[in-house]
Amino acid sequence: MQTSELLQTYLVDGNTWDEMYADASVREQYKKAVAFMQQLSIDELNKKEELAKRLFMSQGITFTVYNSGEGIEKIFPFDIIPRIITAAEWDYIEKGIKQRLKALNLFLKDIYSNQFIIKDGVVPAEMIYSCPHYLREMQNFPVPYDIYIHISGIDLIRNSDGSFYILEDNLRTPSGVSYMLENREITKRIFPDLLPQNNVRSVTEYPAILHRNLVSLSPRQIKNPTIVLLTPGIYNSAYFEHTTLARLMGVELVEGSDLVVDNHKVYMKTTSGLQQVDVIYRRVDDEFLDPLAFDAGSKLGVAGIMSAYRKGNVAIVNAVGNGVADDKAIYTFVPAMIRYYLNEEPILKNVPTYQLGKDEEREHVFKNITDMVIKKTNESGGYGMLMGCAASEEEIIKYKAEVILNPRQFIAQPIISLSSAPCYIGGKLQPRRIDLRPYALCGPDGIDIVPGGLTRVALTEGSLIVNSSQGGGSKDTWVLAH
Amino acid sequence: MERTDGILRMLKINYASSQDDVQGFSWKPVLKIFTFLEEAEIDRLSHNTRGVLQYMITGKDNPNSVLNMVTLARENGRSVQDHITKEMWQCLNDFYHTVRQEALIEWLQKEDPVTILDMLIKHGILYFGTTDITMARGEGNAFINIGKYLERAIQSADILDVKFSDVNYALDETTDTTYWKYLLMSISGYELYLKTYRGGFEARNVVGQVVLNDQFPRSVVYSINRLHRYFERLKNERNVADFNHIDFMIGKMKSKVRFSTPESLIQEGLHHFLNETKNSLFTIGNSLNQNYFAYT
Repeated sequence: MQTSELLQTYLVDGNTWDEMYADASVREQYKKAVAFMQQLSIDELNKKEELAKRLFMSQGITFTVYNSGEGIEKIFPFDIIPRIITAAEWDYIEKGIKQRLKALNLFLKDIYSNQFIIKDGVVPAEMIYSCPHYLREMQNFPVPYDIYIHISGIDLIRNSDGSFYILEDNLRTPSGVSYMLENREITKRIFPDLLPQNNVRSVTEYPAILHRNLVSLSPRQIKNPTIVLLTPGIYNSAYFEHTTLARLMGVELVEGSDLVVDNHKVYMKTTSGLQQVDVIYRRVDDEFLDPLAFDAGSKLGVAGIMSAYRKGNVAIVNAVGNGVADDKAIYTFVPAMIRYYLNEEPILKNVPTYQLGKDEEREHVFKNITDMVIKKTNESGGYGMLMGCAASEEEIIKYKAEVILNPRQFIAQPIISLSSAPCYIGGKLQPRRIDLRPYALCGPDGIDIVPGGLTRVALTEGSLIVNSSQGGGSKDTWVLAH
Repeated sequence: MERTDGILRMLKINYASSQDDVQGFSWKPVLKIFTFLEEAEIDRLSHNTRGVLQYMITGKDNPNSVLNMVTLARENGRSVQDHITKEMWQCLNDFYHTVRQEALIEWLQKEDPVTILDMLIKHGILYFGTTDITMARGEGNAFINIGKYLERAIQSADILDVKFSDVNYALDETTDTTYWKYLLMSISGYELYLKTYRGGFEARNVVGQVVLNDQFPRSVVYSINRLHRYFERLKNERNVADFNHIDFMIGKMKSKVRFSTPESLIQEGLHHFLNETKNSLFTIGNSLNQNYFAYT
């Protein structure tokens, strides 16, 4: 089979935005890459795919899936065809995300201090207090530099007309950034010279920026503050990412049992005694962070860490209690927040969202359930959701009953079709649905967004679910320079 | 063999950086360190990645190409087969046949260069490991190591010198951090740097690590310490005078480096210091040659 046929078999769904194709011709930004692929034979492409898989395996870039019976270590499926974003598109995304983060950060500061936004009636008080991620422990505690969201991974999708929508704000411990870095390394290997030819912007700065931000947060003004990355341990699905980031930043990787708190200071146990810790980049969720403050049964956290935090003896990244801002029910209010705090119109749009806590909206959703996706407000990773179009009659009835029990815990969104991008599957290019997660870093000097991100792919034909735990994969994401 | 290893690592990291840099990447420093090319030739090659790889790995007319060096190492090995182990000889021989095969030239043009470089680097590592676990700790082993650490010290000094001459030895200006990052990565010192210096990239810290850190296996001071250690094993009754002469030279240089600080180096002039170190190393190399291997 000749590879010029590579494109002939590429059938785009008329109702979706395709990243590569527009009106039966290849978009400008894809032209060079497509031309490059076309001069390769299927054999060569297969070999490259093989090489990519081998590289992931030998570097141990694997993730662990909970609740799966066998072989828990998997490689995150990687598609060799890059996703390409133009300079203009990126400028727009960057501006939009910066604006949104600014507002969300102000929201957290406000909620945990004066709560003007509630008093002014923009966000109803019950929305906040019914959110399980709102933590009283954080009330009236000024975090260093007023930064709550040091690291965020906001998910974006594209509608059929190509405009970007915010799908979800991940403001707690967003993961996947190591895949952004590793995917790029793999592309360097499988497509030599293609990156410089296309003027793709580099993503390797990420660990350096993060490290610089972490250093600047140290409460002690000393030359070499001790920074640690707190991981839940080797069984965590993102453990590979924790080790990668720790290595790339040259910081210590610790588990809860490696730390102790004494007199409101956090110490790390070392072979030469205790060493005071200044900054903790934690990848442990809020509720497991401190058995004295939250879940008493937690073995992942450190007893007393919250008191050290509140005393200002240690900085924690991201701040505790951020979950109240990326709650799926609060999501609806983000455009209003942007207007309220910044007096600006939101650049990036929200997907229309229905609160199932409101009777009339619930009615509407139930009536049109086949066009809706219903999600739990406090779950992530694609767990506990219902895709109206794909569910069976019984599933819908069961789910409805669950909703009625506690409607506040659910939201619904019309199914947005997600844009598609070419993937190399089974020896030919096929369109698959994708989203985009750029990573933004916020430090005392402002917000940096590394030009790139994680493009997640729904590898099953027609599927709209891109989560890695639900059979999704990823692609290298190119942002072109001007 | 040490130079081969150094060159291959340098090529690998520089290749990776050539894929990363949108503009401005040039092979110039690498070519300056490792080849005898004229300025004009270097300019011509400096933006041709495949051309550089070709020249540095399989170039027959390049005395420092991997092909030529491995060939020489093998010739040397062949002439002293009775002094080295069979395993070592086989390693060298395998390496030689790998770099000689015709297909390599084609691969270098078409395939992923990192795969090829990795394969070649593995051959080198195999050689080092085999030498370490099979060679008797006698004179032969001492000479192998003396050569290895002489080369390594010169290489590290050279790399620093060329990289700093690129930024005009301006140690206080903060240049692009990726510049230092790739320099350190090419000598496997990046992770150590991150762990030693928490405050980001500073030129003086890079100097500190590459010259003065005695725990960094590619630093100048480490190489000199090792050099001295293996040299001391050559001492016996018959060569006391010659031994003392060279021992004095090594000792002198060792204390000079050991009692330096990044500040003192900068005050002295980094280029001056590196140049002097290199010259001392060359002199030591020559004296060793004269005293131990020359017949006159």
